[in-house]
Amino acid sequence: MEAKKKIVTAVIHLACILVSITMLIPFLWMVLTAFKSVPESTQVDPFIIFPTVWRTEAFSVVMENMNFLLLYKNTLLLIFFRVLCAVLTATLAGYAFARLNFKGKNFMFSMVLFQMMIPSQIFIIPQYIMVSKIGALNSIFGLVFPGLVTAFGTFLLKQAYMTLPKDLEEAARLDGCNIPQTFLFIMAPLARSSMVALGIFTAVFAFKDLMWPMIVNTEKDMLTLSSALAKMQGQYTTNFPQLMAASLIACLPMIVIYVIFQKQFIEGIATSGGKL
Amino acid sequence: MAKPKKKVTSQERNEFIWGWIFIIPTMLGLIILNIIPIFQTIYQSFFKTGDFGRGNIFVGLENYQKMFGDSQVWQALLNTVKYALMEVPVSIIISLVLAVLLNRKMKGRSVYRTIMFLPMVAAPAAVAMVWRWLFNSDFGLLNHVLGTKINWISSPDIAIYSIAVIGIWSIIGYNMVLFLSGLQEIPGDYYEAASIDGATGFKQFWHITCPLLSPTIFFVLITRIIGALQVFDLIFMVMDRANPALIKTQSLVYLFYEYSFRQKNQGYGSAIVVLLLILIMLVTVFQMVGQKKWVHYN
Amino acid sequence: MKMKRVSALLMCAVMTASLAACGGGEKGTADGAADGGGNGEKLSVMIWDNYQEPGLKEIIGDFTEETGIEAEVQVVQWNEYWTLLEAGAQGGEMPDVFWMHSNESQRYMSNEILLDLTDKAADSELVDMSKYPEEIKELYTYDGKVYGIPKDIDTIALWYNKTMFDEAGIAYPDETWTWDTLVENAKKLTKDDGSQYGIAIRNDTNQEAYYNMVYDMGGEIISEDRKTSGYDNPDTIKGMQYIEKLIQDGSMPSMETMSENGPDVLLKSGKIAMSFHGSWMVSTFKQEDYLKENCDCAVLPMGKESQRRVSIYNGLGWAAAANGDNTENAWKLIEYLGSEKAQQKQAELGVTMSAWEGTSDTWAACAPEFNLKVYLDMREDMVVRPYSRSTVTWENRASEIFKDVFIGNMSMEDACKQIAKEMNETLAEE
Repeated sequence: MEAKKKIVTAVIHLACILVSITMLIPFLWMVLTAFKSVPESTQVDPFIIFPTVWRTEAFSVVMENMNFLLLYKNTLLLIFFRVLCAVLTATLAGYAFARLNFKGKNFMFSMVLFQMMIPSQIFIIPQYIMVSKIGALNSIFGLVFPGLVTAFGTFLLKQAYMTLPKDLEEAARLDGCNIPQTFLFIMAPLARSSMVALGIFTAVFAFKDLMWPMIVNTEKDMLTLSSALAKMQGQYTTNFPQLMAASLIACLPMIVIYVIFQKQFIEGIATSGGKL
Repeated sequence: MAKPKKKVTSQERNEFIWGWIFIIPTMLGLIILNIIPIFQTIYQSFFKTGDFGRGNIFVGLENYQKMFGDSQVWQALLNTVKYALMEVPVSIIISLVLAVLLNRKMKGRSVYRTIMFLPMVAAPAAVAMVWRWLFNSDFGLLNHVLGTKINWISSPDIAIYSIAVIGIWSIIGYNMVLFLSGLQEIPGDYYEAASIDGATGFKQFWHITCPLLSPTIFFVLITRIIGALQVFDLIFMVMDRANPALIKTQSLVYLFYEYSFRQKNQGYGSAIVVLLLILIMLVTVFQMVGQKKWVHYN
Repeated sequence: MKMKRVSALLMCAVMTASLAACGGGEKGTADGAADGGGNGEKLSVMIWDNYQEPGLKEIIGDFTEETGIEAEVQVVQWNEYWTLLEAGAQGGEMPDVFWMHSNESQRYMSNEILLDLTDKAADSELVDMSKYPEEIKELYTYDGKVYGIPKDIDTIALWYNKTMFDEAGIAYPDETWTWDTLVENAKKLTKDDGSQYGIAIRNDTNQEAYYNMVYDMGGEIISEDRKTSGYDNPDTIKGMQYIEKLIQDGSMPSMETMSENGPDVLLKSGKIAMSFHGSWMVSTFKQEDYLKENCDCAVLPMGKESQRRVSIYNGLGWAAAANGDNTENAWKLIEYLGSEKAQQKQAELGVTMSAWEGTSDTWAACAPEFNLKVYLDMREDMVVRPYSRSTVTWENRASEIFKDVFIGNMSMEDACKQIAKEMNETLAEE
């Protein structure tokens, strides 16, 4: 039995390592390129995988040219407000759609699904016009704007509430809890890991959102990491080492955020036994 | 608050009031930000649009007639469906297996989880550039390592598969996080009970994990199919316009972008969006109806 | 009951928190707007080319010093640039001062999105409309009204790899070259093992390559009144057949290769001996060590019979938004940027060649490694980049159809006739 368990664990590790390598190859290349010189990065013959000299030029040039502190600040503000708005509105709406019965619910929920079916590119021009009409171009609010509410998150949390056992809710009701109390004290805490997942996705999508930040915030002080990176990419040609160096610096905070949130999952395991 | 006389009706009324209070922020936002523009788009698809939204001329179904006779649109529809058929199942299977494996207590779990999630946090511009290089037929790593000279992203027969590989690579982290969080919500005592009954490994996975995770699987399926049918960024950034394989890889959204944004033919672009909308709606409704057969809610 | 109140309070707190949060963001706006130009003090200047940003900033710095009017240069990538302007023109806010391109100018001018500069330019002491090339002015004039002040001009030259020419024992390209010489030598410079090709021209390398050939042969892309296509003109086809010859000779890398790695990448990685590049590429080329060591530029070949050596040329224009709330200052900036002094400086700093007559000569010195004078020489016989209202549509279609010629599925003659047919349909709808 013990031996079998060991073999199983070994196989699992092997599988995970294989997938991890596939996941990492593109990143390795990013790292290697960041330390190369420009000609090295596009060199063909002889084929170069490792830089001949590990240069940190690209990093220092990028650090000098881009105000990363400001970019981090704008990006983090964007992420913070989008996550806050998304989690708040979606938790409420998701609960109502999953657990309450009221007139108009199905129609409203079909609207939510409807929104998800439309490619987001069609919203860019109308939303730009809205933002500029309220005079919020080049602001954090302008950045957050399309993410004030989330159809995706509403749907995600609706699914999460639907998995929760019904008897919990009934018990709470019998104890005299009204709807907001049941929601706030019983149901919402149970959907925590889905909220965390929504938080992670909202953060990631906000970080990756490209076309919108590029259009709505054009002032240098109001750029986000992704729009500053895209700007670096230039129209005609690209300095690969600098671009890769900047990308690496740019995704660091996202990795940190993920690692922090990830703990939530592990804690979730610890408490899941006591959930019921 | 006065005590209502009839318990049932009061409960109903309460649910009505609180239901609406809970959904109003979301619905208000969605209607203003999204629903109105959607209907404007649908409306536009019946017009020959003028410059800057002025002087639109009503043409009835002309855009649709043109679209149905446009082989490019049909090819794009085919490309889109092909892409979705590859990306969605493969990425879901891989990430479901990974999530179940990484949900166990094991060494290095959080390291693996972080690595698998990495593609999600990489800047899109950098991702596209890295993959373009990996796939590059002359200077790329893949051909160098394999000793081949395959045009991964410029051969019309292969390019769509290469694009799907990038798609799968970048979306595994997304699926995995969702599955992990879904797994968290499965109470541990189900498994305890199962192991007492002697169910282990695959049996547990099939009889406990799958049914209990089915709402999450359903959610991933719906959102990923929609997402895959809306594929755009990847193709936009990886495929150059001079690429001979473009015609065999461009998606409906790409075509919409081409017409609405580049050629400023918003009427025709809108008609393409409506076609996509109908496609997605059909698939989603089909899934919504089908879910009763396999999705288990408490 | 107590619990109810607590929960209600909590709900309220959550709601206000979320509102405050969003409101907090909005406050940021107000601050941003105060120094950001919303109140009409600081002008926003929008461009799409990073490489020009430093030079333009310096020139605008001079302007601020002279007038006290502040302006901020904002760079937005090409695709998003036009999306932004489109949204602005549909009812949103537009930047105060921005670049116009011949692909788009007709739509913007005919809908009066741009500020009418006719009288302002006529009364100006700094701007003298007679000093700009006639055709560039025309790009930004509609119904006799001026909507843009010419900013720069660009021409095309032939780039070649000296090392490869030396190795093959072929003399460097010079003004004696005809297109036949080019085709001939491209074949000689191609190695059988696929490690080196003579030249790279893509199906969409129009302005930089095949448009020039067409006009050298006496053909045209679009008629002078911009109502009919010139692709079915026998001379146009003759010009395009040089491309067909290069394809058939195998002097060019495969279309797949060129689509993944453009001619510029192939040139700087030592894969091709020749390619054509517009003067706007110089700002990136001068940063490439390989090019500095191995490559140089020469004038374009000429047509054997016509003895013409045409360079297609184009130029951007400075424009302002008609509905801007700061049009007075916007004009002052445009006026300054169009002035002889600023244009002189633009060339001196190596930003681009300038539109103002006689101000560009200093530009050639910005990269002494290269014989940039040839770009100036190419100004002797220039044809403006063919355009109409729907340039993008028919140009895209042409590139699409040429793909079949590159693959070998269609003859150049058939392709040109097909393009002419479709292009005429598009033009008829304008």
